[in-house]
Amino acid sequence: VITTVTILIPLLGAILMLLLPDDVRLVRYAALGVAAVPLLLTIYIYFAFGGDLDVAALTQDITWISSLNIGYRVGLTGLGFGMFFLSAFLTLIAVVASWDINRNLKQYFAAIFAAEVGMLGVFAAQDLILFYVFFEITLIPMYLLVGVWGDENRRPAAIKFFIFTFLGSTVMLAGFLAFGILAGTYSMDALGGGGGLSRTAQLAVAALILFGLLIKVPAVPLHGWLLDVYVSSPISTNVLLSGVLPKLGTYGIIAVAIPLLPQGVEPFLPYLAAFGVINIIYGSFVAFMQPDLKALVAYSSIGTLGFILLGAASGNSVGLNGAVFQQVSHGLYSALLFILVGVIAAKTGTRRIGELGGLAARMPWAGGLLALGALAAMGLPGLAVFVSEFMSIMGGYTAFPVQGVLASLGIILSAMYLLYMLARVIFGPIEKPAYDELGDAGPMEMASVVPLAVLLVVLGVFPALLISVQRPAVDAVLALIGGS
Amino acid sequence: VVTGQTIVAILPELISTVFVILVLLVGAFAERNAGISTGLAILGTLAVFASAAILLATGFSGTFFGGGYVVDAFALYFKLIVAGSAFFAVLAAARWSGETGDAPEYLTLILSVVLGATLLVSMRDLFGIFLAIELATIPSYAMVAFDRSRRESAEGGMKYLITGVIASSVLLYGLVLIYGVSGSAMLSEVAETFTGNLTPVAVLGLVLMISGFAFKLSAAPFHFWTPDAYQGAPTSAAAFLSVGPKAATFAVLLRILLEGMPEAAATWTAIAAFLAIITMFVGNLAALRQRNVRRMLAYSSVAHSGYILAAFAALQGNGIPFAVQAVLIYSAAYAIMNMGAFLVIDLVGEDTKNFNGLIRTNPGVAVSMAVFMASLVGIPPLAGFFGKLWIIIAGAQSGSVLVYVVVGALVVNTVLSVPYYFGIIRNMILEEPTTETVRSKGAGAIRFSVYVLAVLATVFGLLIIPLSALVRASGLA
Repeated sequence: VITTVTILIPLLGAILMLLLPDDVRLVRYAALGVAAVPLLLTIYIYFAFGGDLDVAALTQDITWISSLNIGYRVGLTGLGFGMFFLSAFLTLIAVVASWDINRNLKQYFAAIFAAEVGMLGVFAAQDLILFYVFFEITLIPMYLLVGVWGDENRRPAAIKFFIFTFLGSTVMLAGFLAFGILAGTYSMDALGGGGGLSRTAQLAVAALILFGLLIKVPAVPLHGWLLDVYVSSPISTNVLLSGVLPKLGTYGIIAVAIPLLPQGVEPFLPYLAAFGVINIIYGSFVAFMQPDLKALVAYSSIGTLGFILLGAASGNSVGLNGAVFQQVSHGLYSALLFILVGVIAAKTGTRRIGELGGLAARMPWAGGLLALGALAAMGLPGLAVFVSEFMSIMGGYTAFPVQGVLASLGIILSAMYLLYMLARVIFGPIEKPAYDELGDAGPMEMASVVPLAVLLVVLGVFPALLISVQRPAVDAVLALIGGS
Repeated sequence: VVTGQTIVAILPELISTVFVILVLLVGAFAERNAGISTGLAILGTLAVFASAAILLATGFSGTFFGGGYVVDAFALYFKLIVAGSAFFAVLAAARWSGETGDAPEYLTLILSVVLGATLLVSMRDLFGIFLAIELATIPSYAMVAFDRSRRESAEGGMKYLITGVIASSVLLYGLVLIYGVSGSAMLSEVAETFTGNLTPVAVLGLVLMISGFAFKLSAAPFHFWTPDAYQGAPTSAAAFLSVGPKAATFAVLLRILLEGMPEAAATWTAIAAFLAIITMFVGNLAALRQRNVRRMLAYSSVAHSGYILAAFAALQGNGIPFAVQAVLIYSAAYAIMNMGAFLVIDLVGEDTKNFNGLIRTNPGVAVSMAVFMASLVGIPPLAGFFGKLWIIIAGAQSGSVLVYVVVGALVVNTVLSVPYYFGIIRNMILEEPTTETVRSKGAGAIRFSVYVLAVLATVFGLLIIPLSALVRASGLA
């Protein structure tokens, strides 16, 4: 019941937003209030049930369409809890970071909350059809967020986003339906280990599902839609777009494809790991060449998603734990970087790296946090990303040595382009006389980035906070796939 | 022998007959008759709906008139769809027909179509079926041509009339051949002759009959009348004809095939599969090129006929119960979302430019239209999603490779249809308002209908719980 309430509150919030009068202050405070509730509920869940999430208070199983054996089945597992929390957390951050939205604010928040319903729902769904329904609920709000509030290139970007991801999810649905029909149920609980499907059937189903999910991630070379969308969307949307949405895909791989179709996924695992490595290396190289700071962060984000794929493919405890963890730490650092890019662009009026320089002198806080985010992205020990990337590489190396070695090469590449970016943006001489007048990030801006930075450090120092919750679920997956 | 039972059985038809006569009399004898006749027509459609609902709730069923007329949950379900869509059509027609001064005549036509369509879904006799189809179709020719202020209306009506008459004769040829082969017009007796081995004459009869139905259902390659007729027709006529009588026609085709020739399924599922694939592609590819929203919706209705025909192709093996359910669910979902989309056109206009920036000038209508468009694509959790879900599941259960191809084509077509439905959403939300954007055309009744339908399309996921119980009870198979 608590889970359902948490999912439904943003829906009520979205309706509330549309009913409010056009008072900017009121709307902002109301949105903050609405966004805080799911976050507080997930924090409560963590402290009350963190040891064992499989309790009646969190699960629900109601028959929805009985002739097809489709149910409203929700519940939290260690695989989804981290992202469930992060979805609520980043929604709040996105509300705080929405200082750049100056028209139709109510509708903007309504769309954010509508998307939150889908995001929370995906990480709690325990039924394949319900999973798909929540998966698609995010689609239209995100389309609107990019298409209405994005920059001048927003319309083609929004349409591209929609068509690509809709294509992916339709293929995924085809896989789900085939799976459910062959197995006779859509309950993810009952389907664990293959639902009685033959190896051949599992292979066919897994191919469909993986293809659909990899478009969502996106895995290179299925990433054609991504750059325009990331670059065109408003900053606060970027927080969700890079922080949560790719994880709908990776979570699907970790929590649906791998445990439910172990024999079907197995032949694909080396390729999945290879996709991860390609993401890491391709993302780093292309990020290196971007003149636009936001595009650089976008490609960096694609790159580090690769670690999730690598860890997920490993099929061992270290790698899987790393992958589940990396979903969260990737969300934290990419949200941090996108917001700071927004701050810098708003202050200086440009995102072109060549025109920036010496910002640290005038914006010590923003510059310092940008450095922190960049260091996190390259996997500096003591920050959350280090823990998860390290575990992913360790796990990946055990299973696929070649991919593991290549992935660690990726860390060096990412250090190269990130340090080079830092050198040009925040260090060095002040590029333009106008920058002498710049002020540092304001209180709202700081409020949106500091929690992210704090969490990056806390999870970096005490990774057990999260790993203790996810480990039982990872062990359950390992038991299903026969790994160790 | 006409007993009390029989009277109860034909209660919906009796009620619609009474109201047809009443509304016509109002037209003949009352001055300033728009209000009275609209009120009567609303009352009539509601009474038909209520009587069918009561019969359904009490579990009434049986066969009457020597077995030629059947009342079962399946028939009653479609009577509900027909009467429900007629209710919204009357609301939509009220103001317009009042202005032209022809309200009683126009509303009489709507009620006559209701009478024909409700009779149709209960018929079990080939000639009864033909008569009921004609009873539902002949008034609809007049409905399409009714708007005398626009030349397109007369043109559309003329095209509809000519192709409709040809279709009727093709259908009649088919029915006569089937009668000739089996020696009886009763579906139960037809079933005895239509076994695995069909004579050439029987095949010819089957093909002609399905071709006739394909005309009526605007399935490709017999769909060419649809865009002109729907573009020319008054909006309420296009909205009603594209959902109510069409659902009834699908229902009776399902009854003929399942009750009259179940053993010839191999032949007719193959024909349905073939028709479904062409119809989906023709409808969607043509809709992609339209600038006029009405024509776009006309082609979209062609595509949706293709989707429902895909369910017909799945009427084999384990797919049969699911395919029957799919037709039932899809008909309800389609009635809600397509009716809504047509009514929005009535409020806003038929040029895509009319929709530019509608979200700023008319947010409620714009959001409703976005719901209808997304639902027509099949985005969850809206109505259209569940219809498609059922069809895909039925297809997958059928165990036939040909049907898998059909289902694959359905998935491809769903993605193919995204650009034109979302083109409207884009215009409404992403574009700036222009001078061509209509601010508000009043019409409280239509606006009310649009909102009700949008809510129904949105909460369809909850409605599906009682609906699917009902649907399982009404399974033909």
